[in-house]
Amino acid sequence: MEILKTKVSRRRFLQASGVAGAAGAGYTALSVTPAATREAHAQAAAGSTVVNKSICGQCPARCGIDVYTTNGKVHAIYGATNHPIANGKGCPKMHLGTYILYDPDRFKGPMKRTNPKKGRDEDPKFVPIKWDEALQIVADRLNTLREKNESHRFAVFYGRGWGASCAGLQGTFGKLYGSPNVAIGHASICATGSQAAKSATDGNGSYNSYDYKNANNLLMFGANFLEAFRPYNNNLQVWGYIRGEKPVKTRVTYVDVHMNTTAAAADRALLLKPGTDGALALAIAHVLLTQGLWDRNFVGNFKDGVNQFKTGEKIDPAAFNEKWTKGLIEWWNLELKDRTPKWAEGVTTIPADQIIATAVEFGTVRPSIALMERGAHTHSNGVYNGMAIHSLNALVGSLFAEGGLGYQQGQSYGKMPVSADDFMDDYAKSPDRKKPRIDLAGHDDGYAMAGTMIQEAGQNHNAKKPYSLDTAMFYLTNPVMSCPDTKSWEEALKTMYVIDTSPFPGETAWMADLILPDHTYLERLQDAPTYPFQGFPMAQLRTPAVKPVHDTKYYGDVLIEIGKRIKGPMGEYYKQVKDTENVLRHMAKGFEADPGDNGVKDFESWKKEGVWYKKPYAFRQIRGEFFMWDKAAKSYSIPMKPDDVKKDLLKTESGKFEFTSSKLLGKKDWILAKVPGRSAEKMHIPHWEEPKYTGGGDVHFISPKTAMHAEGRSSNLPHAIALNQPTAGGRKHNFLEIHPSYAAKKGIGDGDRVKIKSSAGETFAVARISELTRPDVVVLPFGQGRWAMGRWAKDRGSHTDQVIVQQSDRISGMANFYSAMVTVEKA
Amino acid sequence: MAKWGMVIDLEKCTGCQACSTACQMENNRLPGENYQDVLFYKEGKQPNPTLSWFPRPCMHCEEPSCMHVCPTKATFKTEDGVVLIDWNKCIGCKYCMIACPYGVRFYTDEKPLHEPNIKAVFKGEGDLSWNPPYKGPQQDATHGVGIQPNGVVSKCTFCYHKISKAPKGTPDLDESNPALVEFVPACVRTCAPKARYFGDLDNPKSQVNQLISAKKGVRLLDHTGNKPQVYYLTGSGAAGGAIPSNRSTNKA
Repeated sequence: MEILKTKVSRRRFLQASGVAGAAGAGYTALSVTPAATREAHAQAAAGSTVVNKSICGQCPARCGIDVYTTNGKVHAIYGATNHPIANGKGCPKMHLGTYILYDPDRFKGPMKRTNPKKGRDEDPKFVPIKWDEALQIVADRLNTLREKNESHRFAVFYGRGWGASCAGLQGTFGKLYGSPNVAIGHASICATGSQAAKSATDGNGSYNSYDYKNANNLLMFGANFLEAFRPYNNNLQVWGYIRGEKPVKTRVTYVDVHMNTTAAAADRALLLKPGTDGALALAIAHVLLTQGLWDRNFVGNFKDGVNQFKTGEKIDPAAFNEKWTKGLIEWWNLELKDRTPKWAEGVTTIPADQIIATAVEFGTVRPSIALMERGAHTHSNGVYNGMAIHSLNALVGSLFAEGGLGYQQGQSYGKMPVSADDFMDDYAKSPDRKKPRIDLAGHDDGYAMAGTMIQEAGQNHNAKKPYSLDTAMFYLTNPVMSCPDTKSWEEALKTMYVIDTSPFPGETAWMADLILPDHTYLERLQDAPTYPFQGFPMAQLRTPAVKPVHDTKYYGDVLIEIGKRIKGPMGEYYKQVKDTENVLRHMAKGFEADPGDNGVKDFESWKKEGVWYKKPYAFRQIRGEFFMWDKAAKSYSIPMKPDDVKKDLLKTESGKFEFTSSKLLGKKDWILAKVPGRSAEKMHIPHWEEPKYTGGGDVHFISPKTAMHAEGRSSNLPHAIALNQPTAGGRKHNFLEIHPSYAAKKGIGDGDRVKIKSSAGETFAVARISELTRPDVVVLPFGQGRWAMGRWAKDRGSHTDQVIVQQSDRISGMANFYSAMVTVEKA
Repeated sequence: MAKWGMVIDLEKCTGCQACSTACQMENNRLPGENYQDVLFYKEGKQPNPTLSWFPRPCMHCEEPSCMHVCPTKATFKTEDGVVLIDWNKCIGCKYCMIACPYGVRFYTDEKPLHEPNIKAVFKGEGDLSWNPPYKGPQQDATHGVGIQPNGVVSKCTFCYHKISKAPKGTPDLDESNPALVEFVPACVRTCAPKARYFGDLDNPKSQVNQLISAKKGVRLLDHTGNKPQVYYLTGSGAAGGAIPSNRSTNKA
């Protein structure tokens, strides 16, 4: 009918005007009344519009948002003008939050499964239940496990933990209840490789904060600054400044395996062979030393002041006085002396002259920052790649310097309403509770140096090693889609009682026995201390824009409500904790003694402003001396003693930046036993180790995050789907980017449906023949190919992780997503 | 009266498409029917391929060919220099879409760009093409603002529902000024690298004029004589943002 009506309108007009469809016909000035008179839409009476402060929930950045609500409907989201990360600005995802709130596919309330069979083709046949019944089901299971001495068989897995009122409650829950598996995070499928590299060298197992605006040179390894690196929105703001407004433009070199917007916008794009970032960094270090470009103030110098770094020649360690670093000469003698640009060209395929030019710029156009993420470290040699890259920062003295990098300070939170230690019963205190975790993180049989190994938990459960889980609850994570070798998690979910807390359908929910749907982020009262940003402390707060649209409950309150139903003192603890608002009120008490720069001093002012922060970053290294910020003098002028530096900044055994890692040496025997073939001589220094590629194919398979990736929701956001540009994305599809030479070899044409195969499995995609990717690399963005996510995601896109073999970096535990090799053929 | 215009600095543009999504949600656009698109271009070969992009709103031309061809005078130029469509007068003949050299006009197609059809999920009331649950309070058919009715052509309005409320005589609608932020077009307001500026081209002292002068602003397809009121700054050429001067602006 719609079509008919429209066509009639046009035909009638053409008859009336007496002209045929020539474009110029309109010049005949006719007065025509449209055939179908439309209802005149007058300007709608403006209701009262309320703007409330919240925090975006679509990536880790935690941008403050201003949420516009009129007549009870949220209709617009813009960056919060008073927020240090957002500064009134937005990324492409931010605005789509209104859709997320009203997504018609959302769960409407708690539900339980009635179909006992589980599988992709088994409809769970969910039936709605009341919250009280749902919570009691969980509590009954948990109480029973405790009675059977099996509380360790309850696990919580979580993804984007936000703050004290959600993920922050989990550890206490596990302690009081008696399970080492409450809770298991997702860092090992995220970016724990960079944390481990930093931990091994400067003692901080964390991501860095950055002072980009004062840097003159950025060297980025596999951290897609303009599409995926956090905090994305602020990175974009930084970019506008450093490339368009800063009096002297910041020089940018970008290292990746295919051309994306960051590579395109940079001064220099180095497209290297996957997994060889460390070789490039080592060669850059070689040039910095041989050309005498290291920072004497931070690193130190030869006693006689004469540069003895000559390619291939060993040096007497006694000849060099090191200042804030440890082991430079040992590193040189064991590794760097032979890591020439020519050598690196052979490994990386990047021409030696470009490596030299990059290194000279890095050493001269300072301050310089070398930053890295997944591209560099999601490989078997990831920690060594990361250590080599991070060591460049030490060589040019960028650590804690203006225009350099630091580490995020914590926020001034108050204490919890009651102390959990007072509510530990004999069961919780019993030595029987000391069980290995299901993921064997921190265990010598598993990944002794890793903090979390979510990707191994499914297979460990299946193998009953160390045991199997009885019940697992999931908060903002969906390992059946996001871990390599997804089959093991898919099987695991069939043989445990699964509780999903997502507001949305998803693959974990499809396999779940119980759905306890959370609010979406626009409905929550929830804290979110900052992710590493510029180092100064900051804590954000979401305030609800509207009452919950459906019968949902904030995950933090779900935990507390389950806790109240656990028998014994644990139940009493949670009765006294009361609810998440009470928790947040107690956190905000910390601001009373330490008010923020914006006047936030209690819960009410925190709610009004949506953020508490205190500038500036407390520490700075100036020409090899460390200082703290002097509030009165408004300068970095309080000198720090070496012990303070060790305690607060360079947290290694030596209190220095360690090119020779005491942390790795401390686990030498374990590491060498677990990684056959690793050099015993070099295992503690940044060095080149061939990556172990997996899957047995003939082309590297890279699955990047795209700009529209909204923490797992983007493949069901119709507006995001439409904008999935520009390289491997492509509106309706997400394409597999293939170089013409590989396509020709396999007889694949542009737009062909192709099969991607590895030893782990196969997946299908639509080919896009493109010169943007290397001849030895195919690219397919992750987060697509969902099988139970919603109406827009259905039957669209390709799931990457089912062709990625389960292999992790033995030190960091980082899943080796980018080690995958596949074979592509016409389907 | 102001003559509103926009300046887009391609040296700062990151191709992130936040302009597109901010516009989509502010103006209740159907997925894929973007008033504001970012077009991507791929050329060259490994190891040195070229990727570039071009952000493209309506140019709000001084001499809009779309307006000249409109048989019902539905397309008109406001006193403050904005090209709008009166949906009550538009008959959906699409002549304007043919006449526009920039491809920035939209007819709500019967066939959705993406399945399932979002118009069937959020059914429009009356003759409105759809009814998104997050729709804003503004609906003004005479200025082509709000949800697009069936059977008409729509286009970027420079967020007329915002800019038309700006205090008279303002040289620039600068989002960093708290007093002006609500009057700034969505794409300009959100642009994180601040690649977009919006101001009065008739005011010689406006920042947009200052930028056009200092950085030699250029207009897309200037030879058509349309005289766009959107200017591009091309900087030193090291940026990813670029003017596709010799290529089609149709989305690939």
